[in-house]
Amino acid sequence: MSQYLLLLYDNSSNLRSLSPEEMQKAFEKYMAWSKMPFTKGGKRLAEDHGRIMHPAPATGKSRVTDGPYSETKEVLGGFYLIEADSYDHAVELTHGHPHLEYGGAIEVRQIFGT
Amino acid sequence: MTAYLTRLLGSARLDLAEEIVQEAMLRALQTWPYQGVPENPPAWLFRTARNAAMDVVRHESMAERKQPNVKAQMEWDPGPLDDELLNDNLGDDELRMIFMCCHPEIPRDASVALSLKIAGGFSVREIARAFLTEEPAIAQRLVRAKRQIRERNLSFDLPRGAELKQRLTAVLEVLYFVFNEGYTAHEGEDLVRRDLCFEALRLARLIASSSSAEPRVHALAAVLAFQSARLPARVDALGDLVLLEDQDHSRWDRPLIDLGFHHFNLSMQGDEVSEYHVQAAIASIHVQGHPDWSAILTLYDQLCEMNGSPVVALNRAVAVAKVRGPAEALAAIEPLIANPALREYYLLLAVRGHLLLELERREEAAACYKAALQCRCSEPERRLLRRKLAECAG
Repeated sequence: MSQYLLLLYDNSSNLRSLSPEEMQKAFEKYMAWSKMPFTKGGKRLAEDHGRIMHPAPATGKSRVTDGPYSETKEVLGGFYLIEADSYDHAVELTHGHPHLEYGGAIEVRQIFGT
Repeated sequence: MTAYLTRLLGSARLDLAEEIVQEAMLRALQTWPYQGVPENPPAWLFRTARNAAMDVVRHESMAERKQPNVKAQMEWDPGPLDDELLNDNLGDDELRMIFMCCHPEIPRDASVALSLKIAGGFSVREIARAFLTEEPAIAQRLVRAKRQIRERNLSFDLPRGAELKQRLTAVLEVLYFVFNEGYTAHEGEDLVRRDLCFEALRLARLIASSSSAEPRVHALAAVLAFQSARLPARVDALGDLVLLEDQDHSRWDRPLIDLGFHHFNLSMQGDEVSEYHVQAAIASIHVQGHPDWSAILTLYDQLCEMNGSPVVALNRAVAVAKVRGPAEALAAIEPLIANPALREYYLLLAVRGHLLLELERREEAAACYKAALQCRCSEPERRLLRRKLAECAG
């Protein structure tokens, strides 16, 4: 079994337009997926503006700028760690994640050495 | 939650209250799947929503520095949020919300839609289904209703006296619709949405136990309790629809039946006989196991006189079929077929199909079931319709 990191990019505008009933359904789907046996854990990233530290120049310190957080772009919202037999298997498992159904993107990366 | 926020922000900010609730739920949706559901989910949501509301108020106060009472606004603090406070005020806030939504200055149809949206959590599409109308019409009603609340500064306080009586009529109608949608969902995988049924029943009982209680409130509570009692038997293990005559009575919820009779008895106080009284009487016969269809038909005759709705007439026709046979029932249905409001109503077609099938008019029955399948209805009902269609082939 190998380990994979799922990076979830948010698309809040889609979710925001759901009715309370639809949100309830979405919620149940998200919770169900988070309880799958192959899901080993996950964390939500705070909404506060992340900052980017740029490569330090030859002399001086790294330049720090505001991160890409913005309403118009997809923001990295959180991540999950899952276990799967292969990369293809990991992708297959991730197909069932409701995040994709509600307009969000998920990047799948294998943990090196697992 | 919306009711609570509306009380804090004022009835003119109903839109804002709704937005904040939406944001709070979105936040929950985006965080709980990762870190688990918090110990006290409602408190978490309330806290998130209230903080957002306070942010908005503070932000606006700072922007309007010229306001003389800006200091007062910035010091606005609704107090600590503990469980007891939540429980005590929640019921009141909800009652207030639903009574406000049914204010006489708002047209009846609009206030029903508004209550369904805010207190019932329905989407515009679901409300359109319940009314047998179109979505844009409902959306318009909601916009107008909110504008009226804003412009006329309608109060969030509970009405009294004669005003209360009027308001109550509209409120009971809303609860009835909410229950109806839960009893037989108009689309989707689940036939029954018990949370809607229980929500309607809960609110009915809330009113019945308040100073706004009247016999007809008890009558409605009785209807809802009786119908809810039979919910477990309406669907089988596969989620398929079980017809009344095939239902397993042992699955009926006895405490709910008892509750129904409790409210039914209370509804008998005084001389008032509302539609809900008649419906409660019909429901009370059904929960006694072997229904006396003649008695039910007599009650439906009475109900039809009080309520000219074609849906009631359709239900009456089913009783006619049981007492006088399918041919008479078909005749009773004839005038309903021309009614434009029922054109997309699959039940009319399904009932007609059923009666035709009983009369061995298989081709006509099949045509009805095919037409019924073209209408919008829930998946379990769709499966039943397909089975009946197959039966027509013999």
